[in-house]
Amino acid sequence: MTLSPRFSITLAVFSVLFLATIVHILVVMGIPLNVQHSAYDNIATYGPDREFNLLPDVRPQQEALPDLDPAMKHATCRFQLADGPVLFDASIPTSFWSIGLFNSAGEAVYSLNNRTAGAERLSMLVLTPAQLSILRENPPENLEDLIVIETADISGFALLRAHVPHPSRANALDQALLSATCGTIG
Amino acid sequence: MNGTTLPSQETHFGEADWQKQDLPRAIRPHRSHPLRTLSFLTLIVVLASLLGIGSAYVMIEREQPLNAVTIGSWRAYPKAGTAEADPYSVAIYTRGAVVPLASGEGLALVAREDRSGHLLDPTCIYRISGQTPTARLWTMTATDGDGHLVETRPGRVHLDSQNLLRNPDGSFEINAASEPHSGNWLPLAASANASDGMRFVLRLYDAPVTTGAALDGITLPVIERLGCP
Repeated sequence: MTLSPRFSITLAVFSVLFLATIVHILVVMGIPLNVQHSAYDNIATYGPDREFNLLPDVRPQQEALPDLDPAMKHATCRFQLADGPVLFDASIPTSFWSIGLFNSAGEAVYSLNNRTAGAERLSMLVLTPAQLSILRENPPENLEDLIVIETADISGFALLRAHVPHPSRANALDQALLSATCGTIG
Repeated sequence: MNGTTLPSQETHFGEADWQKQDLPRAIRPHRSHPLRTLSFLTLIVVLASLLGIGSAYVMIEREQPLNAVTIGSWRAYPKAGTAEADPYSVAIYTRGAVVPLASGEGLALVAREDRSGHLLDPTCIYRISGQTPTARLWTMTATDGDGHLVETRPGRVHLDSQNLLRNPDGSFEINAASEPHSGNWLPLAASANASDGMRFVLRLYDAPVTTGAALDGITLPVIERLGCP
């Protein structure tokens, strides 16, 4: 059987387009699986896990992470829930601060700011559903005062942002971020 | 799928034009040419790969996710960095290792063009005026075309709503230029070429508009180009 040239050309063009679509989809879907440095990996370079590490000030050519706001100071803490629940505690003397919880893929799991926290002090407990049911059997005294976040994501990081209203406040905010804790309960 | 049909087309192409054929094409004896078939199929695969990888590269490099909300010159990606993000923004954000502003923190809006649709140019002077949606705090930053901060004359690269001069009705005017300006001055790159590109980033913190649904009908500052050297 022989096909007319026009039909063959059309078939060839369609098969190129069809294959190109598949390649396009594979490339786009494959990028997240093959990135060399995720935000989760980059944060590890600023200090140990389960501890808030102060990121250097956001300045030209010295951005610790891309797309950070130069008006803010940032601290990050990386954690693995397999090592136990994580308790975040911070008291930051500024008119605006916020904290975002991200999983290891960089997706936001939970976020709040100092108004939605309902208190001046940040006290937040992050744990897995299994850890929560264990904790419920023998609850710590201050469980009522904590913001409790259940997540199935085993590893992740938190990014704490604190607004610097004036450069003169920078040192006080550095101290507040350095004394913020991201550790074990109790 | 093409393996059985394409070879005939190839041989036909090569010979039919100059050689007189007695038999109608449909019943002509068919001889396949393995090398030519192979090169034809290879060509299809190579073209498809180039097209697929090239188009993916362009989509990712543009850094403009699909589910953007556009208001005037400003674009926001409320779903970026969440589990509902489209595959392009997932690829863009993970490749850049970007930690987005989460919905409980705020919303970032990015402008790459002025009100008349011209790409922003760091050597020009711009006026950003009007009002922002309700937010407890907002900051305005100028970056280069890739989103990186640039050196400016005063060393400062942003303005925030707490240190802003406002008109009695609450509106404001910001002058964005590399040389000092009176009033609210947003410094632009001290030494820049027009080809570096520029973005204005407006970050609204603790704002009711952090979810995409609430973004319809909000007013954002207007970016006007006042002059270029």
